[in-house]
Amino acid sequence: MNRRALLKSTALTALAVAGYAASSRWGAALAQDGARIFTLAYPAGFPDLDPATSFSNDGAVLANTYETLTRYIPARDGAEARVEPLLAESWEVSADGLSWTFHLRSGVTFHDGAELNADAVKKSIERTMTIAGGASFIWSPVTAIETPDPMTVVMKLSDPQPMDIIASAGFAAWIYSPNAVDKDNAWFNAGNNAGTGPYMVERYEPGQRAILTRNETYWGGRPEASFDKVVFEITEDAVLAQSKVESGEADWSYGLAYENLEALKANPELAVVVNPSFETLFGMYNTRRAPLDNPKVRQALSLAFPYDDVISAGTAGLGVRAKGVVPPGIWGHDADAPVPDTDLELARALLAEAGLAEGGLELTMTYANGDSLESLAGELWKANLEQLGITLTLQPMAWEAQWQLAKSDPAAAQDILVLLWWPTFITPYDYLFNLFHSEETPNFNLGYYSNPAFDQMIDAANILSGTDRPKAEAAFIAAQRLMIEDAAAVFMMDRPNVHVIRSDIKGYVDNPAYGHVVFANELSR
Amino acid sequence: MHLIRYFLRRSLLSVFVVLGVTFLVFVIAQVVPSDPAALYAGPRPTAELIEAARQTLHLDAPLHERFVGFVTAMATGDFGISYKSRRLIADDLAIYLPATLELAVFSTLIALVIGIPTGVLAAARRGGWLDRASSLTSIAAVAMPTFFLAMLLQFVFAKWLGVLPLSGRMSQEFSVLDPLPTITGFNLVDAILAGRPAALFDALAHLVLPALTLAAYPAGIAMRLVRAAMIEILERRHITGARALGLSEPRILFGHALPNAVGPALTVIGLSFAYALTGAVLVEIIFSWPGLGRYVSEAILSKDFPVIAASALVVTICYVAMNLLIDLAQALVDPRVALT
Repeated sequence: MNRRALLKSTALTALAVAGYAASSRWGAALAQDGARIFTLAYPAGFPDLDPATSFSNDGAVLANTYETLTRYIPARDGAEARVEPLLAESWEVSADGLSWTFHLRSGVTFHDGAELNADAVKKSIERTMTIAGGASFIWSPVTAIETPDPMTVVMKLSDPQPMDIIASAGFAAWIYSPNAVDKDNAWFNAGNNAGTGPYMVERYEPGQRAILTRNETYWGGRPEASFDKVVFEITEDAVLAQSKVESGEADWSYGLAYENLEALKANPELAVVVNPSFETLFGMYNTRRAPLDNPKVRQALSLAFPYDDVISAGTAGLGVRAKGVVPPGIWGHDADAPVPDTDLELARALLAEAGLAEGGLELTMTYANGDSLESLAGELWKANLEQLGITLTLQPMAWEAQWQLAKSDPAAAQDILVLLWWPTFITPYDYLFNLFHSEETPNFNLGYYSNPAFDQMIDAANILSGTDRPKAEAAFIAAQRLMIEDAAAVFMMDRPNVHVIRSDIKGYVDNPAYGHVVFANELSR
Repeated sequence: MHLIRYFLRRSLLSVFVVLGVTFLVFVIAQVVPSDPAALYAGPRPTAELIEAARQTLHLDAPLHERFVGFVTAMATGDFGISYKSRRLIADDLAIYLPATLELAVFSTLIALVIGIPTGVLAAARRGGWLDRASSLTSIAAVAMPTFFLAMLLQFVFAKWLGVLPLSGRMSQEFSVLDPLPTITGFNLVDAILAGRPAALFDALAHLVLPALTLAAYPAGIAMRLVRAAMIEILERRHITGARALGLSEPRILFGHALPNAVGPALTVIGLSFAYALTGAVLVEIIFSWPGLGRYVSEAILSKDFPVIAASALVVTICYVAMNLLIDLAQALVDPRVALT
C-alpha cells in the first residue's frame, strides 16, 4: 500500500466512524420499550444483604426488597415529623410504656408465598436478636414477643422505649419470611428473597451491579409507568457517575462534586435535590485532660471555629449550621439552640480568663483519613486558632485506628476527635446517649464528657418518648442546652443530602431517615 | 536440555519468592495499627460485639498459631472471609480475577501488536514520517498520566463521538436484560461459548478504551526500546551480509534483526502485564471495571487484611508465572539467555 492509498483509507475509516457516531450514539439506543429500568449510579457496593445483620449502604437495596412495621417521615415544610403505618396498620402503647401492640396489615405475602402474620414478625425479630450482629441492638429492650391472634403482635419491654420509631429503623428492623429464619447469612447474600417489598433481588454482581426486579404480588400500589427493574450500577468515580446521569445512562446519583452542582442545576434534563441529611459533623473535646477540661477553653475554641466559611467552602453553601447534634427534620431538633458564632475577640477574652492570654497551646485533632470536608474544617479552624496563639495539629487516621486511640486512655488520647454521626433509628437519644452520656469505658463518648444532670435528663426523656413525645422532646432540648453550655463539642455543620436525578423521573422524595435510599416503587417515568 | 534446566532452576526460585511474600504480608499485617475485630463487628459495635468478633476470628491466639492458620488458608486456596464484608474471598476473587485478566491480556496484546512493529518500522525508516510520528506518540503515551489519558479517551470516543461505551463491561441490554451464562468469567470467552456474536461485540467494544489506556505505557516504551535496539543491530555486519545475499527487507527486519532486539521490550511488556493486575486501580475506577485493583485498594483503605493477603498471593503467583514466561520466551528467541 503506498502512502496515498493509506491516507485515503484512513480518511474513509474516519468518515465511517463519524457516520456511525451520528446515526447511533452508544447506549442511547437502549430499548426502553422492553423493560422499564431505573438505574442508580451508586458509589459503593452492597456486601451484606442479610436483613438481620446488614448495617451499611446495603440498606439501599433492602429498603426496596424488605419492609418494616412502620416508616419514619421527617419534619418538612412545616409539617411535623411522624411515624407512618407500613406492615403494621395501627399500634398502641400501654400507659406504663412497657407493652406495645401492633396490628398487622392483612393480605400481605412474602416473596416466597408465605403469609405475613404475627408469627412471621415474631420469628424474624427473634432471628435478628439471636444473631446479634449489625444493628440488632435496637431490639434490646424487647423481653418477649406475644402473638395473641394471627394479626396482632405484642412486644413486652424491659423499660419504656419508642417502639413505633424503633420498628421504622433503616437497619435490623426488616420483617422476613418464616421460611427463611433458619437460613444463614450466605443464603441471603446469594440473592435469595424473603421479604414483602415491591422488588426482589434478581442478581448481585460484586463490584458491578445489583439488579432488582418487580414483585408482581406486592400489596401496595404503584404509579402508572413505574419501573420493572431497578439497577444499582456501582460507580465509585464521581466524575463517571456525573457523566452517567448527564448522558442518561443512569437516572440517579449522589456524592457528585459540589463545584459542579451549578452546571448540573442549569441542565434542564437533570434535577438537583438538596435536603438536610441526618448526618451531623462535630468535634468532641477531650474533657478529661488539661487544658480542655476547662469549659472556658472549650468555649473559646468553639468561638474560633469558622462555621460559615466551612459551609461555603466545603459544601458550596448547602450545609446547615448545626444546632447541637440533633439535625433538623428529627423530633427534638432545637432550632433556637444557643450555639456560638465565630467571634475571635470573645474567644481571646475567654482564654485570658482561663489564664491562657499568651496562648502557647498545642492541640491535636484526629479525623477520618481522606474525608475532604473534615480536613477542610480542620485547616480553616487551624488558621483561626493560630491568631489566638494556639497550634492545632491535624492528624488524619483510618477510623479503626482513630477509634482505638480514643478508646484507650483519655489522658494519652487526642484533644479533639472529629466525627460524623447518623442515627440508627430516629430519636435524639441516639445522638445524645451515644455521644455524651457518661461511659465507664469509652465506646462512642470519645470526648469522655460526664455530667450526671445531663445523663439523668436524657434517660428520663427517653422513657417518656414512647408515651408522651412532646414532653420528651422538651426534656431532650433542655438537656442538649446543658451540654452546649458545657461546650462538650464544637458543632461544625449538618451535612446536606445532595441527590441528582433525571428530570423525567416523577415522584422522587428524599427521606434522610433512610440515608441515600430511593424507594423505587414510588417513581415513574 | 539447557532450556529445561534453565526452566526448572527458575521455577524453584519462584517458589521461594511466593513463600517470602506470604511471610512478609503476615508480618506487615501484625505491624500496621488497626483493630480487625472492630472492623468485623461493623459500624456501631458494642464492646461485647467486638470481643465476640475477636473470639470468632481467633485474634487472641498466639502469633505462631495464627501464622500456621494463615499459611494453611493461603495454601489450600481457601483464603478465609473478608473482615469487612464477611464474604468468602475465594468467591470474590472468582469474579474480580477474570475481569482483571481479560483487561490485562487484551491490553498486553495491543501493546505487543502496536509497540513492536512500529518500533521495527521506525528503525527501518529512521527520520521518516512514521519514525517522527511514532516517536512523538510514544513519548506522549509514556508521559501522560493514565487517569488523564483515560478521561481523554472517554471524552473523545464516548462523549463526543459516541462510538464507544463510557464504562463497564457490558451494556445494560446484556448485563441486565439478557446476561451471559458465567462459564469462565471472561466475557469474551463466555460470549463465544454461548454463541452470541452481539454480546461478543458489545464486550469487545467495552474493552477497547480501558485496554488502550493500559496499553499506552508499555506500547510506548516497547516501541522506543525496539527502535533503539534495531537501529544498532541494523548496522551490524550480518545484516549487511543478509542484504548482500538479497534477502527481502521484511525478512531481514522481522526474521533476522528483530529477534536480537526484542528482549528488553518483552520484559517491559511482561512486567506491565503483571503490574496491570493490581496496579490499574485508576483505570478500573474511571471505567468502572470490576478488577482486582479496585478490590484490593478498597481492602487496603479499610485494612481488610485477609483480602489484602489473598490478593497479594494471587498477584505474586501471576507475577512470578509471567516472569517465568518472559524468561522462557527470551530463551526461545535468543538461546544465549539460557546459558547464563
